[in-house]
Amino acid sequence: MRVVVIGAGEVGRHICQQLSVENHEVILIDRDADRLKRAKRDLNILAIEGNGASAQILEQANITKADLFIAVTDIDEVNLIACIMAKEYGVLRRVARVRNVEYFSGASPLNEHRLGIDLLINPDQVMAQEILRISEMSEAFEVVDFAHGEVVLVGYQIKEGNPVCGITLADQKDLRGLYDFVIVAIVRDEETIIPGGSDLIRAEDRIYLVVRRRDMAAVEELFNLWSMAPKKVFIIGGGQVGFRVAKALEQRKVDVALVETDSIRCEHLAEHLSSAVVLNFDGLDAHDLLSEGIDTADLVVAVTDGDTTNILSSLLAKYHGAKKCITRISRPDFIPLLGKLGIDVALSPRLVAANMILRFVRRGAILSVATLLGSDAEVVELVVSERWAHVDKPLRSIGFPADTNLGAVVRQGKVIIPSGDTVLKAGDRLIIFSMKKAIPTVEQLLTS
Amino acid sequence: MRLGTGTIGALLGWLLIFLSVALLIPIAFSIYYDDGNWRFFVISSAIGFVLGGGLSWSCVSEPEIGHREGFAIVGFSWLAAAALGALPYYLSGAIPSYLNAYFESMSGFTTTGATILERVEALGPSLLFWRAFTQWLGGMGFIVLSLAILPILGIGGMQLFRAEMPGPTKDRLAPRIQDTARILWSVYVLFTAVETGLLMLAGMSFFDAICHAFCTLATGGFSPRTDSIAAFQNPWIDLIIIVFIILAGINFSLHYRLLTGNWKAFGRSEELRFYLGIGIVTTIFVMLANIHFATYDSWLDSLRYSTFQVWTILTGTGFHTADFDQWAPACKITLVTLMFLGGMAGSTTGGIKQARILMFWKFTRIQIRKLIHPRAVVSIKLDNRKVPAEVIQSILGYLSLYAVVFVFATLIVTGQGVDIVTGTVSVIATLNNIGPGLAGVGPCQNYAGLPDLSKAVLIMCMVVGRLELYTIIILFVPSYWKDVRCPRWRWSKT
Repeated sequence: MRVVVIGAGEVGRHICQQLSVENHEVILIDRDADRLKRAKRDLNILAIEGNGASAQILEQANITKADLFIAVTDIDEVNLIACIMAKEYGVLRRVARVRNVEYFSGASPLNEHRLGIDLLINPDQVMAQEILRISEMSEAFEVVDFAHGEVVLVGYQIKEGNPVCGITLADQKDLRGLYDFVIVAIVRDEETIIPGGSDLIRAEDRIYLVVRRRDMAAVEELFNLWSMAPKKVFIIGGGQVGFRVAKALEQRKVDVALVETDSIRCEHLAEHLSSAVVLNFDGLDAHDLLSEGIDTADLVVAVTDGDTTNILSSLLAKYHGAKKCITRISRPDFIPLLGKLGIDVALSPRLVAANMILRFVRRGAILSVATLLGSDAEVVELVVSERWAHVDKPLRSIGFPADTNLGAVVRQGKVIIPSGDTVLKAGDRLIIFSMKKAIPTVEQLLTS
Repeated sequence: MRLGTGTIGALLGWLLIFLSVALLIPIAFSIYYDDGNWRFFVISSAIGFVLGGGLSWSCVSEPEIGHREGFAIVGFSWLAAAALGALPYYLSGAIPSYLNAYFESMSGFTTTGATILERVEALGPSLLFWRAFTQWLGGMGFIVLSLAILPILGIGGMQLFRAEMPGPTKDRLAPRIQDTARILWSVYVLFTAVETGLLMLAGMSFFDAICHAFCTLATGGFSPRTDSIAAFQNPWIDLIIIVFIILAGINFSLHYRLLTGNWKAFGRSEELRFYLGIGIVTTIFVMLANIHFATYDSWLDSLRYSTFQVWTILTGTGFHTADFDQWAPACKITLVTLMFLGGMAGSTTGGIKQARILMFWKFTRIQIRKLIHPRAVVSIKLDNRKVPAEVIQSILGYLSLYAVVFVFATLIVTGQGVDIVTGTVSVIATLNNIGPGLAGVGPCQNYAGLPDLSKAVLIMCMVVGRLELYTIIILFVPSYWKDVRCPRWRWSKT
């Protein structure tokens, strides 16, 4: 596939990296020579310097032959215009990042359908969605929906003293009783393991489970984990993301306190929120935070524009006893480090947006993909085609590549947590866990 | 800018001419019923026409009306309208004292419904019609009506509209204020016609029906019967009047939106829910109290009389189907409390208005919230929209001024030897444009027995209450008149 990306920021770079690793032809356009030079050095792509909305530059990138156009510069209007031009050049699918909410409204005569954009992505909105999804569970550090949300991939941190420590996965299977689940990955010391039956769970491991949504509570009990929707949430930073999260939580009858330093912004927030308490002070003011009860919060969401404020206020909250924190950080390189510091979930808005775009791009055979943040593993959703060589054969007879694990099979809306005797049929959707390097092997297997 | 006395004089003159024309309408009833009062209407109308014509001819109007002139025009025309409206009562000898006639007339225009008459029927049909008609004119506001009809008031009409329409904020239904006035009056006329028709179906004569419809839509309460609605002893009439009383307590711009197919506006209005909620809850309370104290033989009677009385008092109509002065103290104090509330802003009711009460309640709640979260930023919202700080301030100012006016008026009335219940309740009932009160001014009594000074104070209470304090009170502020000059006369040079 030939992909043209304009904008070599974090999002653009991340997308280029993912797509080039998957052997797509990627052309990156940006006006900044420095950024391009870096991208060219690190990634296996073609870089063109210039304005992404200029016809001359686009023709230079041979746009008529492109299958996919992704516009992720920092300027909304450039992204929109570039997409409109790409449509004229006959590019099949177009993706644009647009920050300004007003372009999104369905009432506007210039909505995405008119503009011919297949996916409009608002980084703030995507970020807020991600935070809300994670916030639903206080113990899980990651929750990803599959099969329209019927099956979820949940990530847990196993703490010292948990009864499952030191038990092999094979023994685990005896424990599991009525509920089906598969432990599909273990992250230990920043190394991802796709486990087999003989692998042990150790303290401080992060484990990834595939489970039916309705069984989640029971499985969590089995693992001695308590996942409850938060009752009291502190949001530090009243920007677009903070506001959206507050608004959504407020509708779920959660106690929300929203802290913002700018008093004019506070007025605006107070006007548009109803039960959430809008507080006007600095997110690092420990005394005020404590007097408002941050120590008893179930969840602290730090989403100011400053990484330092986010990290420090999260640490402060954790130190005083807040149960869980979600921290926004604009530099994804720091994410692994933050886990060590005790921050439960660190999210980079750019990575979140990039993942969303990748999920869309890979739509087709692969229905949705999540990159497990901070690990080398990926989750892919694949559909079994009728012409596949292994249709109607039990799983054990198919040589699944090493470093891959079949997490779940979705057949006609029903979810099967697979075992060796499971027979795969045409139209089945497979949820596969795999090391990045093994993905081409899996795709090969499934298209043979 | 200097106060435009010329403008004030000229417009006052035009409004007097306008009312003189209105004074001719009862003549039709006088001739039909042959009560011989027609000549007093002709004389009154002629006096008004000469005075008004003289004023508007001799004063030279400025090109613009500022908001300062607006207050004076509206304030003085209300005082003058009542003076002119009192003439038929006085000239015909039906009310021998001019002060009493003025009281009756002001009670009419301000839709109060307090009377000094022992036996209302003694007035005769044409005077009774005039009595109801003044209420109807005052209900939606005769200045708003003249805005809709008279092109002369086109300039600066907004100032007059603001000074006469009740409520903390004014809806504007059309870009031009004349069109807004026209819309409001059309809805008002439509409802009056519908109610007249329904009352006739329920068995009233045309005369009774139209008089009661006038007094219901205006939430006035001047029934042409001494016993008010109780004279009919007809549950259908009770029901029709209750329904229209409730409707009259709703913002007329909402009615307009409903009639033009905008159902959602009705459902979205927080003030409407609050108004209906208060009415329904107090009805239930008063009904239960009446059942408990066995005021009536059956619970159905308790429901009927309690519902009627609660709504008529809440909206400041002041009709009665029962002598609530005989009810238990708990019911009486509930009704007296209701007197302060009034209906929605933009309706024809008196009182403080539900919008102000609702925002005051929200303000109080937010003060308490600020005690718990000292650094919290809060905003007061009505219908999901932020209420600007200056509106809240004006409401707080309004409530304090309301309390001050109430206390002063009560001091003067009781200072003249009127007993404490009669004195206090008479002020409440006139300041909020209710009409009947308790004890000496109860539904089966009248205001005739009060001392003259008290009557004068109550007259001021009525007009101050109807025009929502500021329009009248500002006329008593010395700095308002600081730079006043003689108006420019038509005959003066340059």
